[in-house]
Amino acid sequence: MTDTRLRLLKGTFDVLILKTLTWGPAHGYAISRWIANTSRNDLKIEEGALYPALRRLEERGWIESAWQTTDTGREARVYTLTETGRRGTQTEIVAWERYVSAFARVLETRPDGAIA
Amino acid sequence: MSKHRDDANLPMSGVKPVADDVRRELEFHLHERARELEASGMGAEQAMTEARAQFGDRKSVEEACEVIETRRRGTKRRAERFSALRQDVMVGLRVLRKSPGFTVAAITMLALGIGANSAVFSIVNRVLLQPLPYEHSNRLVTVVERHEKGGWGNLPWANFLDIKSQSRSFDAIAMYGSGDATVLGTSSPLRVRTGNVSSDFFKVLGTRPYKGRFPSEDEHKPGAVPVAVVSYAFWRDHLGSPASLDGVRIKVDENFNVIGVTPPGFEFPDGNQIWTPLEVSKPGMSRTSHNWETLALLKDGINPLTAQKDIDGVLARLAPQYAPDFDAVGSTVQTLQETLNGSFRTPLYLLLGASGLVLLAACVNLASAMLARGTARSGEFTVRFALGATRGRVVQQLVTESAMLAVAGCVAGLLLAAVILRLIGVLAPESLHIETIHVDYGVQIFALVVAVVTTLVFGLFPAFRLSAVNVSLALREGSRGTSGTKRMRVWNMLVATEVALAVVLLSSSALLVKSFGKVMQQKLGIDAESVMTARIDLPEVNYGGQSPTVAAFHERLFERLRTQPGISSVGMVNRLPLSGANPSGSLLVEGKPLDPRGAFNAYAVYRVVGGDYFAALGIPLLKGRTFHTGDRVEDAPTVIVDETFARSEWPKQDPLGKRVKVAGMDGGEEPWYTVIGVVGDVRPTSATGRFIATYYFDHRTRPPYRSRSVSYAIRSKIGAAAVAALLRREVTAIDAQVPVEIQSLSDIVSRSSSARRFPMLLIGAFALVALVMAIVGIYAVVSYAVTQRTREIGVRLALGATPVAVRSMVLGSAMRAVIPGLIVGAILSMASASLLRNMLYGVSPFDPTALVAGVALLAVAAFGSSLLPAIRATRVDPLLAMRTE
Repeated sequence: MTDTRLRLLKGTFDVLILKTLTWGPAHGYAISRWIANTSRNDLKIEEGALYPALRRLEERGWIESAWQTTDTGREARVYTLTETGRRGTQTEIVAWERYVSAFARVLETRPDGAIA
Repeated sequence: MSKHRDDANLPMSGVKPVADDVRRELEFHLHERARELEASGMGAEQAMTEARAQFGDRKSVEEACEVIETRRRGTKRRAERFSALRQDVMVGLRVLRKSPGFTVAAITMLALGIGANSAVFSIVNRVLLQPLPYEHSNRLVTVVERHEKGGWGNLPWANFLDIKSQSRSFDAIAMYGSGDATVLGTSSPLRVRTGNVSSDFFKVLGTRPYKGRFPSEDEHKPGAVPVAVVSYAFWRDHLGSPASLDGVRIKVDENFNVIGVTPPGFEFPDGNQIWTPLEVSKPGMSRTSHNWETLALLKDGINPLTAQKDIDGVLARLAPQYAPDFDAVGSTVQTLQETLNGSFRTPLYLLLGASGLVLLAACVNLASAMLARGTARSGEFTVRFALGATRGRVVQQLVTESAMLAVAGCVAGLLLAAVILRLIGVLAPESLHIETIHVDYGVQIFALVVAVVTTLVFGLFPAFRLSAVNVSLALREGSRGTSGTKRMRVWNMLVATEVALAVVLLSSSALLVKSFGKVMQQKLGIDAESVMTARIDLPEVNYGGQSPTVAAFHERLFERLRTQPGISSVGMVNRLPLSGANPSGSLLVEGKPLDPRGAFNAYAVYRVVGGDYFAALGIPLLKGRTFHTGDRVEDAPTVIVDETFARSEWPKQDPLGKRVKVAGMDGGEEPWYTVIGVVGDVRPTSATGRFIATYYFDHRTRPPYRSRSVSYAIRSKIGAAAVAALLRREVTAIDAQVPVEIQSLSDIVSRSSSARRFPMLLIGAFALVALVMAIVGIYAVVSYAVTQRTREIGVRLALGATPVAVRSMVLGSAMRAVIPGLIVGAILSMASASLLRNMLYGVSPFDPTALVAGVALLAVAAFGSSLLPAIRATRVDPLLAMRTE
């Protein structure tokens, strides 16, 4: 069985995590599931890679964490976007969208003649 | 007391150890994933395996997370500590600002103590402790000959050569002489310090040329082409820093090729700018002419005493060979450091001791101020404890406040030290070269440590004591805090200490003042009032050799000056008394038996004079006459002697008409000189120096070079500036290339006593500071005690105590602290007085008047400073006092 899923471009994982957290506080597992589900499993992400990424964002002060008891009665480390993080996320998303649309324009635009 | 400050140290719920925190987070993920997979129909075991597979390399994820988390927590903790410190500083600033009196007093006291100490220690460090700035400075020694009757002199050149070849104690040995010479060729005639140095001079000092080279052995031979080494400053300022020394010449008494430059700062022995080989001038081989100084580098492991025995051996072998032309009976070898600075040791260590006492007094005052403050703030601390502050937090706050005071006091102290150093520079003898000393790095650290330790120890004292008390008890006591007899005992001890220190300093300075008064009463033998002096140096280039132009110049200048209005007398001398140079030599007194060692039988200081020297300096003529313009100088040379000379050579005889002859001073056959006059004695070195037999030559009877570099003395009523202008004008009229340096005779006289005056003034200043500190300290403590006892005093007054009774109660308790201090101070003064012995003149170190003066002054000051709070105590309104609860 060949894996046809897309490899994630470096640096883009953070944007996905941050975007996920804009919907509200979440623990690591929930974030992981949300990204997998909404991308319809098209992205090839090792689940473990999420955790160092979360710690780094916390170190940068974009997110905060606290241990909380979940519905299932277990203790989970729940992450919340900070105000800095919220602003940062906006900037990152705008940058990412410009990147994507620039990429798309190059891929889709056809020349009238040869471009030599 | 805020939460974030505690979580740095205390485990709180929610903060797990890093490894635990990471492990549990990952476990939660795996557990949840497995549960979900199980829900979709997988077996429990398979679900876990699948969850692990999807997770990836758990070990490396764990490690990565731990690294980041550890780092994050560290950063966070540091940030929190910093913000706590900032908060403490802000609170501290507010607290200090709220009590400006305390703050200013504390900083001032620290500044005074630290300033005095840093300044004095900087000097002690540079002059006595630090090695001289030469390679192997601990092996550098000076060598002199010892003569009969405790006299001493430089080694004669011939003896030096024999010692150089026969002694086995030195790696190198050299001779040098210093003098001022006029250098021509630059924009104006330049007067610089030059040195004649023998070969090995630079080797002894371990100096290497900054540029060019030092003279070779051949250039150190008689008749060699004249070469010169110049200082870095001379090369830079007067030669224009040429990159190459090729063709660079300077003209002193002849032309010299400049071949080398010494490194910056090298100006041995004393501000020298030019060094030329000494051997070129063919030094004479007389073994009784003591022209140059000797400097040597001891072999490693040889001490000065061994070297001295070595030289004594050489001299003992030479003596029988060369007698009668030989006057050495031994040698003295001592370190260069000792030769240069040995005489400053006692005064400087005394100053260091005095400034140490000032610092101690400052610390004592600071301590009592901090204690008083601690008590005054006990309410504040009690409330903070009650509200849950830990002892650690309060201590931290106090440490911050103390440290702020310490740093401020330290900075102010170091600034003050720089000022004090400049002040000492004005007062101190020039040879200390204070102007080159700066408050050094080590001193700054020392000062900071002193300041921090003092403030911390006494700043924290209240915190430790307070945190030990039962908070609820303290609260109930209210604003009274926790005063008690125990506390008063600590204060009484502090006051007593301060009083004792001040007594020691005051009585010491009283001794020095009394001694200085005795010094000032000594008759110098001259009248320095309204006498200006001028150094006049005739350049060797134009006035060299045996030419008669030198005498002609002086005679012309006398003539021109004498006739000016307002000038009463004009004279000239080769070396002024009290100016640090007293040329001396042996001579032959007619009709007396010869000394077994040579063609002489007397030893005396000589001066070469011209014009109306005696009248100009106010030296009385006691008998006979002075020199006349019409004296037949060629065939009937005359001489004048002083009283001491006359008394020791011709006791109970008439000295007039007696004859003396110079013994080998200037070479050649010497004529007999007839004594024509007797003048009063003059102190040669200082007011406390003994009189030395002195005789005076007419400058026209001595070789011209003896009067090429002279001092003029002009007694006049027209004022210093007018004399200076007149002199410059008249000298320039005769020869524009002759430099003139003006100085008043009273300046020279006052400088000759600066070695005594400066420790006296400084110790006096320190004593004054200690006195003020004692007054402030006593006043503060008594005032404080009165405030503490307001209620008690109120009750007493209400119960009918008279104001007088209250006043004497307050004064009595103050004196209970002061009197032991006075007694201890008196005992300490007597114990330490012998340290002053070497610095006293005409006063016993145990002089009772000085001690009594010190004790009495302090007793009065102490009484006065406790009187004010005592009077205030009686103004207490009994009702108000009792309501202060």
